[in-house]
Amino acid sequence: MTFEMGPETRQVQGTWDVTTYKYKIDGGGMKLLCDAMKEKKIRGIRCNECGTVYVPGPTFCRKCHVDIDEMVEVEDSGEVGTFAVEMADMRGNPTEKERVSAQIKLDGADTWLGGTIEGIDWKEVKIGMKVKAVWVDNPEGKLSDIDHFEPL
Amino acid sequence: MDRKVAIVGQAQTKHSEDIGMPRERMLFELAKGLFGQLGITRHDIDTFVLCSNDFQTGRTISNVFEDTPVGAYMKDETKVEADGVWAVTYAATRIMSGIYDTALVVANSLGGSEFRPYLIMDYQLNPTYDRQLGLINELSAAAFQARSYMDKYGMTDAQLDMIASRLLRNAAKNPNALQSKADATPEYIAGSEYLYEPLRKLHCYPFTDGACALLLASAEKAKELTDSPVWIKGMGDSLESYYLGERELFRSRSSKLAAERAYRMAGISNPAGQIDVAEVSAKFAHQEPIICEALGLFPEGSGGEVAEKGLSEIGGEMPVCPSGGGLGAYPFSAAGAICVAECFRQLTGGAGDAQVANAGTAVAHGQDGFCAQHSAVMVFSREEG
Amino acid sequence: MRNVGIIGIGYTPVFVSKRKDVNIVEMIGEAVDAAFRNTNLTPDDIDALTFGNMQTFEGLNLPHLWAADHISALDKPTIRISTGGTTGMSTLQAAYYQVASGLYDVVMAVTWEKQSEGDSQVGLAGIVMPEAMVMIQSGMDLFGGRGMGGMGGGSTGAASYQATSYLHHSGASPEHIDKMAALERTNASKNPYAHLRKVTTVEDIQATPFISWPLRYGHTCPTSDGATVAIVASEEKAAKLADNAAWITGVACCASDPTTANFIEGQITDPAEQRPARIAAEKAFAMAGIKNPKKEIDMAELYNGFAHQSLMWLEKLGLCKEGEAHKLLDKGALDIDGELPTNASGGVFSTNAIGASAMNRPAECALQIMRKIEGEHQIPKKVKNALAHGWGGLFQYVTVMILSDEPRKAK
Repeated sequence: MTFEMGPETRQVQGTWDVTTYKYKIDGGGMKLLCDAMKEKKIRGIRCNECGTVYVPGPTFCRKCHVDIDEMVEVEDSGEVGTFAVEMADMRGNPTEKERVSAQIKLDGADTWLGGTIEGIDWKEVKIGMKVKAVWVDNPEGKLSDIDHFEPL
Repeated sequence: MDRKVAIVGQAQTKHSEDIGMPRERMLFELAKGLFGQLGITRHDIDTFVLCSNDFQTGRTISNVFEDTPVGAYMKDETKVEADGVWAVTYAATRIMSGIYDTALVVANSLGGSEFRPYLIMDYQLNPTYDRQLGLINELSAAAFQARSYMDKYGMTDAQLDMIASRLLRNAAKNPNALQSKADATPEYIAGSEYLYEPLRKLHCYPFTDGACALLLASAEKAKELTDSPVWIKGMGDSLESYYLGERELFRSRSSKLAAERAYRMAGISNPAGQIDVAEVSAKFAHQEPIICEALGLFPEGSGGEVAEKGLSEIGGEMPVCPSGGGLGAYPFSAAGAICVAECFRQLTGGAGDAQVANAGTAVAHGQDGFCAQHSAVMVFSREEG
Repeated sequence: MRNVGIIGIGYTPVFVSKRKDVNIVEMIGEAVDAAFRNTNLTPDDIDALTFGNMQTFEGLNLPHLWAADHISALDKPTIRISTGGTTGMSTLQAAYYQVASGLYDVVMAVTWEKQSEGDSQVGLAGIVMPEAMVMIQSGMDLFGGRGMGGMGGGSTGAASYQATSYLHHSGASPEHIDKMAALERTNASKNPYAHLRKVTTVEDIQATPFISWPLRYGHTCPTSDGATVAIVASEEKAAKLADNAAWITGVACCASDPTTANFIEGQITDPAEQRPARIAAEKAFAMAGIKNPKKEIDMAELYNGFAHQSLMWLEKLGLCKEGEAHKLLDKGALDIDGELPTNASGGVFSTNAIGASAMNRPAECALQIMRKIEGEHQIPKKVKNALAHGWGGLFQYVTVMILSDEPRKAK
């Protein structure tokens, strides 16, 4: 069975400008985290009913469906939950050097945070490996205050 | 209907120009409030039917962040992308199938603070022709429809003002309405500016942030959860041509066929006589008579006379939109669900100052598209039957 | 419970990158016409419609309203469903409920996507636009990616994270992903309705570069223009109108939290865990009366945007033990003539008109059961029970349907 595409039909251009929307996001958990990072610390929110520790912290626990606001501090070290090795950029051009990006479960938290891992050959990286955050010298209260993670 | 379904509870936000909080928080508080009212938790819900619109929400898959707030984490969930009344009918069919006993419907939009509904309607236009020509938009299409009805049946601007003022007075009795005026007069309406002749600002729905949650249940579950379930007796739905030129804008064929189907299911042969109260999704004042006539509540073309004689007032012979209808509040995607919620309030005697006396049977209507191209109708009763 | 069967399927003549010869409503009309042709039904036989796609990809809101005149939907009850990647199956499930409820007897489910008419990258990125803004404002270097930064996983995003975690927990190797990819593309070469149809070897796959190890270019799915339509009917109507039916015996869905880019609210879920798959599958099996899925399910059509996912879903859905999928692959059990033919159609990995992709899975199962496959990928053994799977959202939604050659018996 063969199909032959017919002649081209009329085409017009159009746009959908997403930036004209006025979104509202709850940034409370991010603010808590960023403020903590200024002190080279990591803070999140704990649900008193089930004990889940969220970093950054949402305003309610999705398991228990209750408001949560108990602030807790977690370690800046933890385990590699999963990782990937970037070898090409968004356009498909090979990157200069392989970059290991990972999802890390910090000790004390139930959430996984994204981070890059340096100081190790990508082929040596393993799930479950212990890593620790390497902070910048002068943290400003931003997510970039953690420069990268290194194996412990 | 083989397996009976009832509405056992409703909750609405205080509809606003700007709800003042993120959508997720709005939905969390709404769902939590309804659960608290009924003494249940999210684990009592067998299936969640969400209703929102990607273009309104400004992102694709608009429900990705709506699940955890309404309690659907690790639960059975789906999403209707149409007016809220379709989420209610879909939820009802899920229960009627026998597979589920309870269904939570949550419909929402932030049409006041996030993105203007008129612009969302623009994206419904045929992209290669109508959108390029730029002549049709929600206001111009509504104006065509208004002019079409007014010319055919001789309804005057003053009578259109009467419809709008009645709705704003009703809205003043609705604790959830965004816009209202307890002493609104037709002159008050006529004092607002024209948006698109013959439509003035106060003939048109306000941009609204709002949400509505409804719990549906099978007969056995409904009786466990409440002493006054509101039974779904009939549902109907119909779709007209997209092309405005192919339609008679002074009537609503989609509402008429939808109503006929719903009435047949409900055993209603004389709607004007058997329906006690109607909540219809009229986005503009002139749409109210068009829809009500299609629903068989008033004779065709009687809009002017109905307005003059006050027949649709809360105390009138056929009360329409005691809640204030679309002029009191109209959150895109939620509006039809709100009509259902308002029918629930009426039939459970919970409508406060807007209560229609002895309301036993109610009809709700929801719409999508230009000039209500797509309509759905539901009939409710206090009697299980 | 009322039994509901699929009595016919209609596809657009092809699924390709760009259909420049038809506009959206014309394209959908092709699939609707095909469904009518294949079943000898007319619009008068249809009581209602359900309709679904991912609408922002075409920049067209509520497209069923424009399509009405072109898909024989005038004066018909119609409901629009939209749930991301699972849309195709959610739309079919909605049609199922319209009939199972007793409200209607014959319902047409219409699903489609014409991604060439939009920018999928924008559509997809748009899911988390506001979250991304907050993250950037909080100092996250989204694409440069240092420290606690980056959406991570490169342009394949969380799929790479999922693949790494899956390989670790299952014991499969990256070469197994290459092998599954080659199998499915070769399957697709037998399917006239697939998009990528080149006979493919493991070497062909391995010749493609890694984007984000362990995922290569050769592991990713295409974007396609196309539409798929299914007609479902009650038992009585099916007997009158059709010579054969594939019975929907199990239906389920489950939603997790948005596990990618949910950074703002805390990501507590391993993207490879996919607990909704187990929950939905168990529910669907129970409904279908299937007590031993590993033995009773004869074939699977799984939603795999990336090649490793076929292996992962087999385990998560309970069609084989954890860690066993790659062994089945090595044994040839997943081949079209194997014990558990998986994605005989080539899967989403070979054809991806997103709104239709999750409908193509049950459509293919139905055609296999009814032995109406056009093409050379008809599974030789008898198919009694088939599992169709859909997946979507931010790695969070799973839908499952079981299709069988016989309707459920009344208990």
